[in-house]
Amino acid sequence: MSNSGTGPVVSFENVSKQYGGLKAVDGLNLDLRPGETVALLGPNGAGKSTSLDMLLALKKPSSGRIRMFGSDPYHAIKSGRVGAMLQSGGLMPEVTVRELVSLVASLHPRPLPVETTMKQAGIDKFADQRVDKLSGGQTQRVRFALAIAGECELIVLDEPTTAMDVETRRLFWANMKAEVAEGRTLLFATHYLEEADQAADRILVINKGRLLADGTPAEIKERAGAKRMSFRLERVDEPFLLSLPGLESLEIRHDVVQIQTRDSDATLYAVLDAGYRPSEIEVSSLGLEQAFIAITSEDDRAGGASGPVQVTRHASPAGAGKEMSGK
Amino acid sequence: MNSTSGTLALGKAEIIRLRRNKRYLFFTLALPIVLYLALSKTAATEGGVSFKVYYLFEMASLGAFSGAFNNNAIRISQERKDGWIRQLRLTCLPANSYVVAKIIATVALTAPQIAIMMLLGRFYGDIQLPIWEWTVIALTIWLGTLIFAALAVAIGYWMNPNSVQPVIMIIFLFFSLFGGLWFPVTGGLRTFAQGTPTYRIVQIGTDVTLHGTVSWIPVSIILIWLVVFVGLATFAVRNAAEAI
Repeated sequence: MSNSGTGPVVSFENVSKQYGGLKAVDGLNLDLRPGETVALLGPNGAGKSTSLDMLLALKKPSSGRIRMFGSDPYHAIKSGRVGAMLQSGGLMPEVTVRELVSLVASLHPRPLPVETTMKQAGIDKFADQRVDKLSGGQTQRVRFALAIAGECELIVLDEPTTAMDVETRRLFWANMKAEVAEGRTLLFATHYLEEADQAADRILVINKGRLLADGTPAEIKERAGAKRMSFRLERVDEPFLLSLPGLESLEIRHDVVQIQTRDSDATLYAVLDAGYRPSEIEVSSLGLEQAFIAITSEDDRAGGASGPVQVTRHASPAGAGKEMSGK
Repeated sequence: MNSTSGTLALGKAEIIRLRRNKRYLFFTLALPIVLYLALSKTAATEGGVSFKVYYLFEMASLGAFSGAFNNNAIRISQERKDGWIRQLRLTCLPANSYVVAKIIATVALTAPQIAIMMLLGRFYGDIQLPIWEWTVIALTIWLGTLIFAALAVAIGYWMNPNSVQPVIMIIFLFFSLFGGLWFPVTGGLRTFAQGTPTYRIVQIGTDVTLHGTVSWIPVSIILIWLVVFVGLATFAVRNAAEAI
């Protein structure tokens, strides 16, 4: 039963969940290793919450098998090795924050001191307030406190920073880093790409219940395959630009050319070889957001493997011109 | 912490909550006491016993049942929707602890409420009964709350908060009116009322005070209702397992 520290903390083995005719999760396979911070990234309805619900023994998979610490999820949860925070988790009303945290701590086999937990979650300032009188952001922090009220090895968070303002969000992740630094494994689902980029050392991209990409933030950006290049060119020759190697998309804004390319070196050499001398050349990686959009929209096109080059031309200098999509 | 003490800790929290809830205190405690103080002092007799005795059983049952039924059904339905039950399932508590803790809190709070009514009858109403008769009457009402707690669990798991209110009003009015908890049922309605657990619980009270015996008919009718509602509750809870 006990996890030696080398086996996976969590494993999904070909897990599917079907609601009537709809497949919310479709043959998911993945392992979480001890100490990893993993972001589960996907658009709304991608199957993130359903996957976490199954992991937390709230729902049963239609097929496949989930293991946590080498046992089934229900028993792993009941052994107190998992601290979890749900998007849809409600709180008991009519009690104070301190009473609620104390209650949940008292239900844990290895409770942490209530004051410590409240300080860590940043809720000690309103500890004597009634739970039903809190704001959305405060409620969210109380949920987090409940997740860390006992000593646990895996923390699972479903959209943890929803309803938090920027400052609270920053504090939240600072606290979270402290938790993880002690060797815990963290799995969180999120909408916020920058959060995944900054906090996670591994990102799982899911869409339509399937795992589309699995890697470090850098690898995910790479997997989207493209780099972004921009330069200024006096006389723009669109047919020539369209013939550039590696081209994925092209945007022309007056005399500024923006290109997404699979091979920035080859693209740039081709421009120079043709005798052009562009100025203000910039080459940068795609952000995680563009990578994410590239990966999921590729999946949404389902089948049309590599689409046509997208061209956007802004005719007016102000850049407020009509968009045109050429082939 | 083992699962029994965990469930007790949750039950304790439920008791704390209820003691803070003014609506609960009003309907289970204040209203029956006020009604008894206001209306019991008449010379009439009912069902062969003096009205102040009969009315005491009615008021004690009314408070206990509204606490066990109305309150639990609304809360369970609301807490299911709010996700508190989901949240609890992430703790080390066994899955059934939520319902068990609700029943513990109900039973723990109706005990003093029934005791207060009995003391009111003894000292305000000046009702003289042997200790064992007081005990049988109190225990009958106390066990009767289990019937309504079970029905509350079934309804709370079945219905959403916005539809649960009118339904519990209708059910509670049905059982309390026909059971004679507001005023005695008479005439043709009595035949019908005899099928309800509420009527039979009050009947055990009058039987005990009149004859010093309890017949098997009201006892078995009460037990049948208990079995049916516990069955319904179990079914509703299992059925909702995936939808929590």
